Amino acid sequence: MRNRDVSFWLFLTPVILSLSLVVIIPFVYGFIFSFTNWNGLTASKFLGFSNYIKLFQDAEFVNAIWFTIQFSVVTVILLNILGLSLALIVTRKLKSSNFLRTIFFMPNLIGGLILGFIWQFIFISVFDDIGSALGIEALNGWLSTTTTGFWGLVILTTWQMAGYIMIIYIAYLQNIPNELIEAAEIDGANSFQRFRNVTFPLVAPAFTVSMFLTLSTSFKIYDQNLSLTNGGPHNSTQMVAMEIVKTAFSENQMAFAQAKAVIFFILVATIAIAQVYYNKKREVEM
Amino acid sequence: MKGKKFYAGVASALLLSSVLAGCSSSNDEGSSSAASEDQVTVDIFQYKVEFKEQFEDIVKQYEEENPGVNINVKTVGGGNDYGSALKSAFASGEEPDIFNVEGPSVVEEYKDYLTDLSDTKAADAALEGTLESVTDGEEVHGLPYNQEGYGLIYNKTIFEKAGINPDDILTFEDLEDAVETLDNHKEKLGIEAVFALPAKEKWVTGNHLSNAFVAPEFNDNPLDAYEAETIAFEKGDEMKRFLDLQNQYSVQPSISLDYSQQVEELFSLEGVAMIQQGNWVYNAIYEMDPEFAKNNIGIIPIPVEGHEGSLPVGVPNYWAVNNNSDDEVIEASKDFLDWLYTSETGKEVVLNDFKFIPAYEGYDTSQIADPLSQEIYQYADEGKTIGWVFMGYPSAWTDNVLGAYIQKYLSGEMTWEELEDISQSKWEEARQ
Repeated sequence: MRNRDVSFWLFLTPVILSLSLVVIIPFVYGFIFSFTNWNGLTASKFLGFSNYIKLFQDAEFVNAIWFTIQFSVVTVILLNILGLSLALIVTRKLKSSNFLRTIFFMPNLIGGLILGFIWQFIFISVFDDIGSALGIEALNGWLSTTTTGFWGLVILTTWQMAGYIMIIYIAYLQNIPNELIEAAEIDGANSFQRFRNVTFPLVAPAFTVSMFLTLSTSFKIYDQNLSLTNGGPHNSTQMVAMEIVKTAFSENQMAFAQAKAVIFFILVATIAIAQVYYNKKREVEM
Repeated sequence: MKGKKFYAGVASALLLSSVLAGCSSSNDEGSSSAASEDQVTVDIFQYKVEFKEQFEDIVKQYEEENPGVNINVKTVGGGNDYGSALKSAFASGEEPDIFNVEGPSVVEEYKDYLTDLSDTKAADAALEGTLESVTDGEEVHGLPYNQEGYGLIYNKTIFEKAGINPDDILTFEDLEDAVETLDNHKEKLGIEAVFALPAKEKWVTGNHLSNAFVAPEFNDNPLDAYEAETIAFEKGDEMKRFLDLQNQYSVQPSISLDYSQQVEELFSLEGVAMIQQGNWVYNAIYEMDPEFAKNNIGIIPIPVEGHEGSLPVGVPNYWAVNNNSDDEVIEASKDFLDWLYTSETGKEVVLNDFKFIPAYEGYDTSQIADPLSQEIYQYADEGKTIGWVFMGYPSAWTDNVLGAYIQKYLSGEMTWEELEDISQSKWEEARQ
């Protein structure tokens, strides 16, 4: 670490400058505003912690947090299982593996808003038509209840992100030395045992990375939520990010929303740090 | 190694200089615009996406006639988008000179920025009642865009086939009878259901539907609603009855039905006989089927006891002029708005290009372009109107409270009494 000469700092300046302009300074400002009655135009009063006290009594905010947590738990599990399975499929010596990789990754290239609208059409119109053609009641009226709205969001997010998580797992799977697998094979391990005892421990670092990614993304989801359900029916599928935007812009309580955002930040940061810490612990050295 | 360091130094110096250059270039622009001093520049920030092009055309025409004025128009789509974009514009110091205020709560919010427009010709010509929600004592803080109205838009052919005369539908019972007749002959008439109730759109239920039944309580005046400490739901039962009727005979599930399905898919393709909407849907229907739009649609009032045969008609938005702008810019802004609504050229454009129902006197209203607007204008002209009081509801009450709870009610997770109680307490909370 002796390279702290002029060029080191010169190279760093643009990044530090832009980072502080768009992230650090607004964050500090927002933190300060969360203690006032800021309405987006002026902040005339310092309120202390009253915004923070108020927000825990805000049923809608608490509901949104609860909904987001449930959603995150389900998507994190699903995404990692699916991502790893897809990765295992395409790392087999299949002729179509390159093609499959592309296909699986593709949803990730479409923006969340568009995806939301596409799936809205699928859930509402396509599901409905299939449901009435085959006489399956359960396919009718998707997105019109809280449960189907929840699963709609889960399906959408999983479909979109699984390919991305797959790529991470592929990278780690390909790093596993062949000798280890061969040795296990010679020792008489069947393919399930090989996976359980050799492959699985060795891709642990991939779990750390992809769990962090899936966790933080599913907590912060906004655009898919907005375009798929827009929080409906009756704001019951509204996630935290959306609830904050609503408080800020449609209820016009900027400072209150800012306080919610601070709490949200602390929540996500705590969970993510804890997750990385525990995952790191169970990684094994190769 | 030394050579490497040298290149690194040069490269970083270059990088830094390009960053700095990026910062300084804005200064150059500043000096170039200052060169043409006799020009007045007016920045307009408006919400109506539907008439963006027509509006820009008329602005160009105005600029040609008045070479000293330069007008920039920026349009951001309706609802929340506009509100938040406007707020960001103000917060960042890029304040527009002309912007839109929707009603009393926005007026209150931007109070310090609003110019008194009572000395404009347009304010003089504004129709009676249209300035109510932007008037504070003697001061007028906004000029109306236009008038809009809503009710039950119906399909004339289907009504004829079913043998129903729309003019006879005045009371709730009349409507109920008509709906039952339509429902009984669904197959013969080739419709999927009588109504398409888009409960997913909280503004359709929360704003419009409720407004018809709440307006009498606040004397049809948005300012009264704005000042009210509480809401009694005096006509709550009637509102429930009307909502239930629409829901019962609607394409299901109404709760995930949205605006475009309602208007474009179901009504325009003649899948339903009636929808609760306003004259703004005309263009959407026209795009789907011009023939149908021109000849086959009409509007009947929502039946409100004691106000039978009246349509809710109101001003959706107002033009405001920024008080912080330079005096000559304020003058130019007022002149432009006056010209737009009171000059002969302006009037022509407002009627024929914007397809507005004018909110000002002195228009040749026989020229109103579409049949829906024409009908609504007649109701307004005869004074058979209900006010648009939802402009005075607490901000976000319609969307986050009433509209959302109506969804909850329709999905059976809440009773009507609970809905009234909780909406009431949320109203009181917001007014504290």
